Amino acid sequence: MKRYTIHKQKINDLIKTLLKKYRVIAPVEKNDIILFKQIERPDEIKLDFTNSKIPPKSIFLPQTETLFKFSTDKDIKLETPKNFEETALFGIRPCDAKSLDILKNVFSDEYEDNLFLSKLKNTLFIGLTCKDPPVNCFCTSVDGSPFGTAGLDILLTDIEDKYFVEIITKKGENLLKIFKDLKPVTKKDIEKKTTIAKNAENKIKRHMQTKNIEKILDQIFENNFWGEIAKRCVGCGICTYLCPTCHCFDIQDEKKGKHGARIRVWDSCMYSEYTKQASGYNPRPSQMNRIRNRIYHKFNYFPKNSQVFGCVGCGRCITECPVNIDIIETINDARQVKK
Amino acid sequence: MVDTKKLKNEILKILEKKDVKHVICYTAGSYGFQTRPFFISKKEDIEKIIFSPLCLHNLSLYVNNNDEKKIGVVVKGCDSKSVVQLIQEKQLDRKKIIIIGIPCKGVIDPKKLREKISEPLEQVDVKEIKDKYIITFKDKKHEFNKKDLVFDKCLTCEHPTPIIYDVLIDEKIKPTGKEKYEQVKTFEKQTIDNKWKFWEEQFSKCIRCYACRNVCPICFCEECMAEQLNPQWLYRSVNISENTIWHIMRAFHLAGRCTGCGECERVCPMDIPLMLLNKKLEKEIKELYDYIPGTNPENIPLFAMYKPDDPGGDIK
Repeated sequence: MKRYTIHKQKINDLIKTLLKKYRVIAPVEKNDIILFKQIERPDEIKLDFTNSKIPPKSIFLPQTETLFKFSTDKDIKLETPKNFEETALFGIRPCDAKSLDILKNVFSDEYEDNLFLSKLKNTLFIGLTCKDPPVNCFCTSVDGSPFGTAGLDILLTDIEDKYFVEIITKKGENLLKIFKDLKPVTKKDIEKKTTIAKNAENKIKRHMQTKNIEKILDQIFENNFWGEIAKRCVGCGICTYLCPTCHCFDIQDEKKGKHGARIRVWDSCMYSEYTKQASGYNPRPSQMNRIRNRIYHKFNYFPKNSQVFGCVGCGRCITECPVNIDIIETINDARQVKK
Repeated sequence: MVDTKKLKNEILKILEKKDVKHVICYTAGSYGFQTRPFFISKKEDIEKIIFSPLCLHNLSLYVNNNDEKKIGVVVKGCDSKSVVQLIQEKQLDRKKIIIIGIPCKGVIDPKKLREKISEPLEQVDVKEIKDKYIITFKDKKHEFNKKDLVFDKCLTCEHPTPIIYDVLIDEKIKPTGKEKYEQVKTFEKQTIDNKWKFWEEQFSKCIRCYACRNVCPICFCEECMAEQLNPQWLYRSVNISENTIWHIMRAFHLAGRCTGCGECERVCPMDIPLMLLNKKLEKEIKELYDYIPGTNPENIPLFAMYKPDDPGGDIK
């Protein structure tokens, strides 16, 4: 790993350099909501933010994505979607970067989903260390860290007057070719970075007890514990849509007049029609089955299949749930359930 | 402050009856400003019950008559309007529900509170002293004016005392607010182009999580039009066109039925001002038919009645 620093006053020059070579996507604030959006100028970026409302998975797995277009004029014409331009994703948080690393495995297992994978390949991931994790962050409980580097090419850490720059991958080294204003690190810079990183980790106050969780869940599948939580669940899609690792989608043909498109669109296991079959039979007939599936997918099926949690601890599902269904509490309480 | 002891006692009395399944009330949440719906069926859980100005959910969402047994529910003034509406629409059998009414002096909007203090891990304690809230956590006291923290709906609330109840906790409260539809009137003054620009921006934000629909007690269709595939009324594509259809459909299906509890707007993760739409329709209906949903238990639903002098009455 190569390490440098960049003076804060030079950060706009860095963005300008990126803008010359890449389509730049960065956190932008509009009406109090932070979202990752394409920018044209460095001053559009909101640098002091906690995290985006919608995770940046939406760049790689857009909520609605055209697979191909068709028209039913005389001859059937098929049109494929546009290529994904070379992109620099600036300011992604380590938790969200890790989620994309997890999804990379999902989308390359057995069937290679090139639509998704090619976008990742075409993107330079420049992360930003979480200096001030808010109340519901728990990345450290799920093998993550506010300064984790999984899924990142470059990680920037705010060390007061400078950013500490860590070049993690070969792809990240491309930055060195186009931007010459990076300075070598001093001993003091390294000390500062270590202190800030440690402080950030200490600011994480909530902890999920994840040790052996997949085995514990194996024993309580039929327990009424799930039914009790499901009583207050309203069955909306907030927790899954705003989750950086939830990735379920539906495929539909949509047509207006002679023109149409096959699209893929986010779907949610919290919805009653998610598993409903054409016959009318639904193997997950109640909200209990759906809530349980969400938890098991993340903390039982994922660890069993790929030795990682299907959760990166970003806390969005907790913060946004209308009825305070809290995944940290759910997992911690699950451990106490009498088998 | 609401007398929680009395509330617990009344709930205990209800739980003693053999024909009661559970009472829907509130309990503490997992952190900060959170509270949550609580379904109590065992007397030993009684101490878990809470009531504070942070108890914001409209619990009438969870009341149904799917069971042989009766269901008890705690309602604030605004929530009671939904119960009235559900009874009028024959979704609830009055005889099978036990309503515990709480005269309400306003509910704290957590979004407004978060703008003033960041949400802590510790559960906060809220005390009401006249027109102030004292919010305490980590032994630190924060004092705020009530009017700066309550939901907008509370500022114009005309029904702080539940309209319908079997038991009332505390004394009735006289309304101090008046719904003058000021926000709607201001919006109406804009040009059509500006109105459209506004809603286009709002609807563009929508991620179609359907939280607005799912928390609405009055949205009780077993299968929503948004999910039907044959015919497919709206596409799954999330774009301005389909999102607009969704929001117009949602608002119009609630015209003359929405009781203004504001849950849809509260839960929207994208902060779409859904109450502006709902209130516009409420205002139109009030002006046309002198009817406000959920306020009169003797009424029948607006769309189930006809008066010869109804406006637009040329349908003969």
